Amino acid sequence: MFAGFLAPYDYSAQSRSEPSAPATTIHFNSLTPIIHPRRVEDQLQRTYTEDTSVAFPVGFFVRGYSYKLLGIAETDVHLFGVRTTSGIAPKINLLGTDQLGRDRFSRLLYALRFSLVVTLIGVLFASLVGILIGGLSGYAGRFVDTFLMGATDAMLALPTLILILGVRAAFPLELPITRAALLLLLIFALTGWAEMARLTRGLVLSFRKREFVIAAVALGVSQTRVLFRHILPNILPSLRTRALLLLPTFLLAEVALSYLGVGLQEPEPSLGNMLTAASDLDQLRSQPFSVLSPALAVLFFTLGVRLIGRGERL
Amino acid sequence: MIKLLLRKWLQGLMMILCVSVVTFALLGFAGGDALTRLRDNPQISEETIERLRRVYGLDQPLVIRYFRWLSGAVTGDLGESTYFRVPVSGLVWARSVSTFLLGTAAFAIALTLAVPLSLIGVRYKSKTIAAFIDLLILVTASTPRIVLALVALAISVRLASFTVDTSSLVLFWLAALALSAPLISAFLAQFHGELQRIMREDFIKLARAKGLNESAVILRHAVRPALNPVLTIAGLSLGGVLGGSVIVESVLGRQGLGTLMVSAVRARDLPLVMGIVLFTSTAIWLGNALGELLQVVNDKRLRDLGF
Repeated sequence: MFAGFLAPYDYSAQSRSEPSAPATTIHFNSLTPIIHPRRVEDQLQRTYTEDTSVAFPVGFFVRGYSYKLLGIAETDVHLFGVRTTSGIAPKINLLGTDQLGRDRFSRLLYALRFSLVVTLIGVLFASLVGILIGGLSGYAGRFVDTFLMGATDAMLALPTLILILGVRAAFPLELPITRAALLLLLIFALTGWAEMARLTRGLVLSFRKREFVIAAVALGVSQTRVLFRHILPNILPSLRTRALLLLPTFLLAEVALSYLGVGLQEPEPSLGNMLTAASDLDQLRSQPFSVLSPALAVLFFTLGVRLIGRGERL
Repeated sequence: MIKLLLRKWLQGLMMILCVSVVTFALLGFAGGDALTRLRDNPQISEETIERLRRVYGLDQPLVIRYFRWLSGAVTGDLGESTYFRVPVSGLVWARSVSTFLLGTAAFAIALTLAVPLSLIGVRYKSKTIAAFIDLLILVTASTPRIVLALVALAISVRLASFTVDTSSLVLFWLAALALSAPLISAFLAQFHGELQRIMREDFIKLARAKGLNESAVILRHAVRPALNPVLTIAGLSLGGVLGGSVIVESVLGRQGLGTLMVSAVRARDLPLVMGIVLFTSTAIWLGNALGELLQVVNDKRLRDLGF
């Protein structure tokens, strides 16, 4: 949400003179952080040297390109940046730049924003569909149950990623960002509901036989009301934990699609298409950490979600 | 027994049919095919495209196209790939060998790690081993395959001086390792948990009371009942392995079923996409059936239940 504020540069701004630059080192000159501008040493080898004769201070709340904070207020203040009086300042690239000279750190922040929003909404969608199908299956008659659960089993048995790719093949390759996001949401909802449905059905079945539900039915409460007012609130905590564990699955699906070049496309940054930089083996060898930083972000996310899930279960 | 097999067979057939119908319908409704790109080419006239459409049968309605495809598929003819210009079935077979090897290696790694570790964990009830197993489950469960594959690539780039030799054995095992991570956690969690539960059962107490030493109790009495859930998990994780192979293969530049699927999607090669979907769903169904069959062989009680 705050990617614009946190990122020092525009994600699509290229500085062609500085492709594949390593991360800027921040020096400290008596407690003031400073950086030195860098020069290209060798165009082909892409080596850089620092020009230590000039120094620029690094500061917080620096003015840069303008963006909209939370989509409303237009501002140009950024969390950090290089302070300058002349207007020309060297760039501070915490994770270096990519082949086109774009600031990798800024791109990573925007990519995280996109991925997280899409994943969250995707999980909401898929859970909704799954809970509906599962609730119906657990509460309606035997015939509906057999049919729906057959579909669920078939869904669960399929290789998700291949199925996703199959669905993806049905749509044009290149899509603008909003359409790509919508497509991802559709794919998530189509492929992710099965697990939720299975769990919901099991829970609904077990709760149907509890005394308070039987009491409600005996009192003449309508079926939908029993399902939504008496059963659903009771099973919601378990469903929430399950939905939480769906988050990494969807995030990874997004990463995979974009990595394979069929998800979000350049110049929009996404965790997946940033990782394609790893196919540039020279860069991977010289700065493995910077190139793989999106992978690290993914790892932290999945690990974090799993730890939260563990905590909830206890 | 035979009744069970027959029912499983029918179920699998239904599932595969459903999947093929859904995929075909989706691909058909979305419109656009391999000829869409030709349309942008000014040198190719409308008539040529119309003729090509007739040659490939694309002017027929969707239902007819589906049944035509299905009748071909039954006899093993999956049509011709519009991108590679060769029969789909041959292509899929050729590429699936490498994926099959990779998947088998991944299963082997996961089993050789999970089984002994669980046994040791149950035999020596030490807190450190239990904590280690717990940690391993957490780490392998939450490290995505794509991250592992990329790290494997980075390692191999560091090791090799200039290029990465995609046929090297080191890379093969690294790829298999990346593919096996979620399997390790699944097998370990399932087998260790099940063993721990079974060790508290009465028949284990009886075995101990007979004077058997602890190792013999575990190996002769606890392993067999604990194996069944692992077999279920193994059958179910086949889909994940096939899906994961898409990522691992494309990151590490291996020619397999996964990379074939990616190029098919990118080229909008519908016959090839259909062929791969059909092949993988069949493979998964076979894997599940095999897992269940092994369970019945392992546990005679299931036979009496009419399963």
